[in-house]
Amino acid sequence: MVARLLDLITSGPNKCRRSLSVLAAVLLMTACGAREVVVQGNFPKPLMDPLPLTLGVIYTDEFSQHEIFDEAAGRAESDWLVKTGDAQVQFWNTLLSGMFEEVLLIKDHKTLHAHEDKIDAVIVPAVADLQYTIPLHTNIKIYEIWMKYRFRLIALEDIHDHENGDLTINPDQYFADWTLTAYGKTPTAFLQSDEEAVNLAAVVALRDAGANFATSFARVPDVVAWMSEGMQASPHESDEIQGAAHD
Amino acid sequence: MSLTKFKVQLMTRTRPTWLTLALLAALALLQGCVTATVDEMTFLEPTAGIGDASVVIIGRRHAPDYETEFDFIECIGDHIRRGDNSISVLHELEFINMMYPWFEPRTAPLRTDDIEKLLSQQRVADRFAELKLEYMIWIDGSTVETNSSGSMTCGVGPGGAGCFGFGTWGNASDYEATIWDFTDETEVGRISANTSGQSYMPAVVVPIPIIAPVQGTACDSLGDQLLKYLSAKM
Repeated sequence: MVARLLDLITSGPNKCRRSLSVLAAVLLMTACGAREVVVQGNFPKPLMDPLPLTLGVIYTDEFSQHEIFDEAAGRAESDWLVKTGDAQVQFWNTLLSGMFEEVLLIKDHKTLHAHEDKIDAVIVPAVADLQYTIPLHTNIKIYEIWMKYRFRLIALEDIHDHENGDLTINPDQYFADWTLTAYGKTPTAFLQSDEEAVNLAAVVALRDAGANFATSFARVPDVVAWMSEGMQASPHESDEIQGAAHD
Repeated sequence: MSLTKFKVQLMTRTRPTWLTLALLAALALLQGCVTATVDEMTFLEPTAGIGDASVVIIGRRHAPDYETEFDFIECIGDHIRRGDNSISVLHELEFINMMYPWFEPRTAPLRTDDIEKLLSQQRVADRFAELKLEYMIWIDGSTVETNSSGSMTCGVGPGGAGCFGFGTWGNASDYEATIWDFTDETEVGRISANTSGQSYMPAVVVPIPIIAPVQGTACDSLGDQLLKYLSAKM
């Protein structure tokens, strides 16, 4: 059928006009399609003395499948879908395992109970906000990504497990809660597509988040208090639910 | 018969030379003019060269409105390696990855006073010793387009494609190299290079770019001065 259609288009006296019409239609359809970026990068392990802590880490579904969808504002623009979830998990796994003596990924009831004797605390990262700009938005020849993270440290006893293997976290129970921002930019370059540039900006932003986290972790007041108290978590409760974790 | 053969051989031998010369002449003609100014202030020069120690050249990228281009840093590194292959110049990106997270835009040391703080991290100090890092050269600056004018129209038709018009644009490079001596934890020199030039593109059917190698000249100028400083051969 496709061959017949092509034959119909490319034969006859109006062959050239038809070909041009099809080409124009294809170009129009391409211009209207969504632009998708699945962030990918290689992330180095941090060069630092690991803190003497065994940390559990929970990546919520929201975090591990994080993406941002931006609808086109006008006909000249495209929808954008930036998927950072896989890169987030890959990056934070690399960073945390270099920063702490031992890092254990807690996926379910089974992994929680297998390591409960040695875990000092559980960290739950969340992307609180993500914004991006491309030269079309700003008229500046730079692609930028800005991210805001929220981290919470939770005592092991505040993670509840269910018979079906699922884990739940009360979003109000934590003993340390802090946010940090990260920024990544990349200039326009010859033969660089918008997608490649947004990916590169996202990788730079992730690296910046890691640099910020690595250099500020031991200075977060709640963390300092916890570490100076011999890592005995004393959970406090918040009035408002600021949930990135599972309920 | 033998004379014809000789002529043919002669032509075959001479053609590449003429062709090379013609190409070189065309390339020379097709380059725009660039003006360059280089300022240098260096001291504690390693008169016997840097021996088996290594050097790293890194771009500054903490400013919000510009960042030193990675390819410019690579160009200077290549220039130094070409000038004296005994100098070990570390690859910028590999070095930044090896030292992560200490040379990210947020964490990179801005003053020589920060070196001591950096070396207080045992793993960082060990890595520096392993790399035999003696000099760190920071390059700060960028190349920008200063002006542009003219217009060009291109069209495609059944008979072929072509362009008609004239375009011109100016570029300016402004870079400063700051040399840190890691052994003495001190700054030992500053070299700056400012270059500017105008490029042209006339088009009668085929566009002919006459490009002013502004960034390339800045790279050569800085590279030459750094080579003089680091190399015992210069």
